[in-house]
Amino acid sequence: MPITSGHETETPPKLGGGGPGKISRRRGYGGDDGDHGRPDDFSSSRSRLRRYRVGVALFSVCVTMLFLGIGSAYVVTQGMGPWNHEAGSRVSIWRPLLLPYRQLWLNSLLLIASSVTLEFARRGMLKKQEFSTMGIRPPRFKTEFPWLAITVVFGLGFLAGQFLVWNTLRHQGVYLGGAASGSFFYTLTGLHAVHLAGGLAVLLYALCGDWTGRKFESQQIAVDATGWYWHFMALLWFGIFALLHFARG
Amino acid sequence: MEERSTSSTAVSTPGFLRRCVFSTDHKVVGLQYFFLSFAAVLIGTVLSLLMRIHLVWPTVSLPFFGTIKPENYLAFLTMHGTLMVFFVLSTVPQSGFGNYFLPLQLGVSEMAFPKLNAAGFWTTLLSFLILIAAFFVPGGASGAGWTQYPPLSAIANSGPGQALGTDLWLVSMGLFCVASVMGAINFITTTLKMRTPGMDLMRMPLTCWTWFVTAILSLLAFSVLLAAVILLLLDRNAGTAFFVPAGLIVSGKAVAQTGGSPLLWQHLFWFFGHPEVYIAILPGMGVTSHVLSVFSRKPVFGYRAMVWAIVAIGFLGFLVWGHHMFVSGMNPYAAFAFSALTTAIAVPSAIKTFNWIGTIWDGRIRFTTPLLFSVGFVSLFITGGLTGPLLAQPALDIYLHDTYFVVAHFHLIMAMAGLFAIFAATHFWFPKMFGRMMNERLGALHFWITFLGSYAIFMPMHLLGTAGHPRRYSELTGVQYVAAMAPLQKFVTVAAIITMSGQIIFLVNFFWSMFKGPTAPANPWECTTLEWTLPSPTPAGGFGEHVPMVNRGAYEYSAPGAETDYLMQDAPGS
Amino acid sequence: MAIALLLAILLVILACVYLFIAHPVWFPAGVSAHAAGVDHQFAVAFWLLGALFVAGHIALGISLMRARRRGKVTYTQGDWRLEALWTVLIAVLFFGFNVAGVRLWSQMKFQQPESDAVQVEVTGTQFEWYFRYAGADGKLGDTDAQRFAHPEEGNPLGIDPDDPAGKDDMVSTSLVLPVGRDVDLTLRSNDVIHSLFIPAMRFKQDAVPGMSIHAHFRPMQTGEYEISCAELCGTGHYRMRASVKVVSEAEFKQWVKSKELPSTAK
Ligand code: HEM
Ligand SMILES: [Cu+2]
Ligand SMILES: [Cu+2]
Repeated sequence: MPITSGHETETPPKLGGGGPGKISRRRGYGGDDGDHGRPDDFSSSRSRLRRYRVGVALFSVCVTMLFLGIGSAYVVTQGMGPWNHEAGSRVSIWRPLLLPYRQLWLNSLLLIASSVTLEFARRGMLKKQEFSTMGIRPPRFKTEFPWLAITVVFGLGFLAGQFLVWNTLRHQGVYLGGAASGSFFYTLTGLHAVHLAGGLAVLLYALCGDWTGRKFESQQIAVDATGWYWHFMALLWFGIFALLHFARG
Repeated sequence: MEERSTSSTAVSTPGFLRRCVFSTDHKVVGLQYFFLSFAAVLIGTVLSLLMRIHLVWPTVSLPFFGTIKPENYLAFLTMHGTLMVFFVLSTVPQSGFGNYFLPLQLGVSEMAFPKLNAAGFWTTLLSFLILIAAFFVPGGASGAGWTQYPPLSAIANSGPGQALGTDLWLVSMGLFCVASVMGAINFITTTLKMRTPGMDLMRMPLTCWTWFVTAILSLLAFSVLLAAVILLLLDRNAGTAFFVPAGLIVSGKAVAQTGGSPLLWQHLFWFFGHPEVYIAILPGMGVTSHVLSVFSRKPVFGYRAMVWAIVAIGFLGFLVWGHHMFVSGMNPYAAFAFSALTTAIAVPSAIKTFNWIGTIWDGRIRFTTPLLFSVGFVSLFITGGLTGPLLAQPALDIYLHDTYFVVAHFHLIMAMAGLFAIFAATHFWFPKMFGRMMNERLGALHFWITFLGSYAIFMPMHLLGTAGHPRRYSELTGVQYVAAMAPLQKFVTVAAIITMSGQIIFLVNFFWSMFKGPTAPANPWECTTLEWTLPSPTPAGGFGEHVPMVNRGAYEYSAPGAETDYLMQDAPGS
Repeated sequence: MAIALLLAILLVILACVYLFIAHPVWFPAGVSAHAAGVDHQFAVAFWLLGALFVAGHIALGISLMRARRRGKVTYTQGDWRLEALWTVLIAVLFFGFNVAGVRLWSQMKFQQPESDAVQVEVTGTQFEWYFRYAGADGKLGDTDAQRFAHPEEGNPLGIDPDDPAGKDDMVSTSLVLPVGRDVDLTLRSNDVIHSLFIPAMRFKQDAVPGMSIHAHFRPMQTGEYEISCAELCGTGHYRMRASVKVVSEAEFKQWVKSKELPSTAK
């Protein structure tokens, strides 16, 4: 026994980093869910799926910040203008846009529809993956691919629709390099489209995986991660739409 | 999307390219970041030397270059700042050491997304090359400072470096943002999902805590910088006017854009910029806590308080950006909030300082080079940190803003403190990374020169600031009261030359030890954390099939009743 | 090594304290009405922070001095009471200091200038400061730099030649002010951001294109003081100087007259 005074050995509660003598609470590690004490196999498809979901969540946070940055710039710019001392108020120099609502709503519907179809694919593949980890091979292994294909079509439709919206605005004389309202419109919707196209690319990868001989589990993970990302993209789209509508000046 | 399982890595030995260049092994990626920063710090240091020389001997003609003109000075200034902030301080402590040691300290052999990780490095490298390329384009590199305030940065004919050089700067930064976000996602997921059994969050080494919190800051902050960079690129190349107001006339030419606000950039930039300084310094704080505990043979004093301080600093870091804008024309009411919040952030920083001193208090200190640098870190952190609450007061900052006082402040607390943490970490982990020990004598010598040199360079700069010397002046002759300060400026330059010469000792020590140093045992410092359970250098497969089981916290030094004065985290018994 | 480190820390303390006491260069004498308050706050700051600097380093030194070679080390994970004590201590110190500074800021920013304040419009350009006075009519003429600015023709700010209010405007490259009267500056820029820095007045304010920023101070001593630019504005940033001439009320009137004559004659 080392010679220490009672005072010195006394460990104040909850200050140290889990000192000796404390029973490990065995939680929160390895992301394992249920199989207590057994380390996670990080290469298992379940573990990978969980990681990818966390990754997608984090990526969504990052994209949200990107759009919050531009969105707050939008709001600030919209309220800007020289101060009129006589009137005691701001002179707005903002040129409101005439949004092609009909087209925008149509695009929104397409996006929602694609979210729904992708969700079908995601759930179906998830279930099959679970079966297959249990060693049961479902009879019709690839029934979800039509859903995926439809999602891709809808996604492309949305992008094409956005393109038409830009075209409409261009015919109204609204340009990227023109008044601020237009610059923000093209920037926000354009960046959203780029992000959505990224999701599309992953879906295509999953679809083509059929021919390139990818393992089903990889495809399933790709579809699952993209599914969540896609839903987030739809939400983001409505956020942007709301911003463009309510703060149109 | 596919990854090889951990166990299969040891089976076959892939070729050199696979192993050392296009590897997805976190250790290789970590070292790649490390050596990239090595290049960056060399360039950045040479640039600062050229700046210092030019300031006091403006007529000196350099070999191959000739005399330095004001636009060269500004380009060096911008590149120095950018290289140092992004490619050194945001890269080595986090992406370099973090990549290498975060998984090992958590007891795993892989990051959550190895390919993403490698992609992050290659993107960073590309970003670095694009940045450097700006030196060689017509007009040279950007001269608008690392803060790139528009309209100077938005209008191509506002100065020599403001054409292609600035576009390259922006593209480079955009890529850097993307790379940082990739790294951040990887770090956070690894910390949340890959810890070995028993590694509770509250048992993680403080290094892991700081890497984790820094990754969260990177994720949130770099996305906003990316937004700002995209908008500015559009302003420059697509005719938008996010940051360009109406009616400008630059170099005799009317600017067509109308309707933007230069202050908008400043808000976006500093919303990123202040968290960025914590991104630069938090991992250094983690290393310091870790090293002080190891070499004092005592647990970290107030581990939980340290964790909460890290989290508090990270959180508050997002609420203080306006302290960079007290004289910018921002609403003066906002200054109250930013001032109070900035003062608030000084409190967790002070807690950390107290706890560092508490950690070494009555310890059985081993005066190794890492310890010396960590003590140096604490000293610099105190000195540089104390001027923070002063600059947080708008009434005082009005006078000191954009003077050398600020240059002194951020060099001490961020640049020098960060560098000291990097030196400490390099000496500390060198055995694990390269399997050899660095020379202690040379290490100590290097420490003395750098420690005293840092004070000699940056202390007098406070005085220049109090006398009203604005920063980013390429010559002292333009303003009379500035010209009067030439003697003190000369002193600073001499101190800088001596200090930089001292860095040669480090270079020699580093490369000599890499090949000729004495081979290192597995655990030369008698540490408790998991990376030291592996042989030195770390084998390619990491822990391989072995899964460490963690039984205790990371700082069990001199625990009563133990046989040795340290208890490995995975040693049996509880 | 412990001794060496102690000595180094001692050296750092002494050198830094000496440097600040000897201060080979230092604040120029403050000559504006609010300078005394600012300087007082600076004095408080340097004493308070200097004391903390010395205390922190002494604590660091003592902790190194107490390092033991052998024997058992006190095993402690920390102490919440200590933790709370220094948190409260440092919070009280810093926030107390902050509140004092905030009062000063309110005085500087939220007290309106007196009604007889001299109105001067300051425009930063690459790389020259221009100061515009309204002339006899008390009104500044409209400007449009893009249309009318011709520095070589004596109209660097682009004053609209058709605006009658602009006819008697005077543009100077130095700031001339009467002593003891408030001056209300309106800061503008037509190209990039500049920052008007008058160390002797403890004054600094950015001039941001697209904005007209008001700031005011009151010079209290006659004399000539230098102005520099404190925001990176391009290659000539380092030489973007000007001067403030603070003169008696009579001299100021004289100067205004002398400036008015040639421009009204035009
Ligand atoms: C031996 C070390 C160093 C010396 C002598 C040095 C010197 C200088 C000088 C002379 C300036 C320009 C000041 C001005 O004209 O306003 C400067 C700016 C700067 N330095 Fe350093 N520096 C050193 C290390 C570092 C390090 C390690 C960092 C890492 C963060 C750093 C970050 C910066 C930044 C961010 C700026 C501002 C750049 C700008 O204004 O855009 N420096 N440094
Ligand atoms: Cu800050
Ligand atoms: Cu300037």
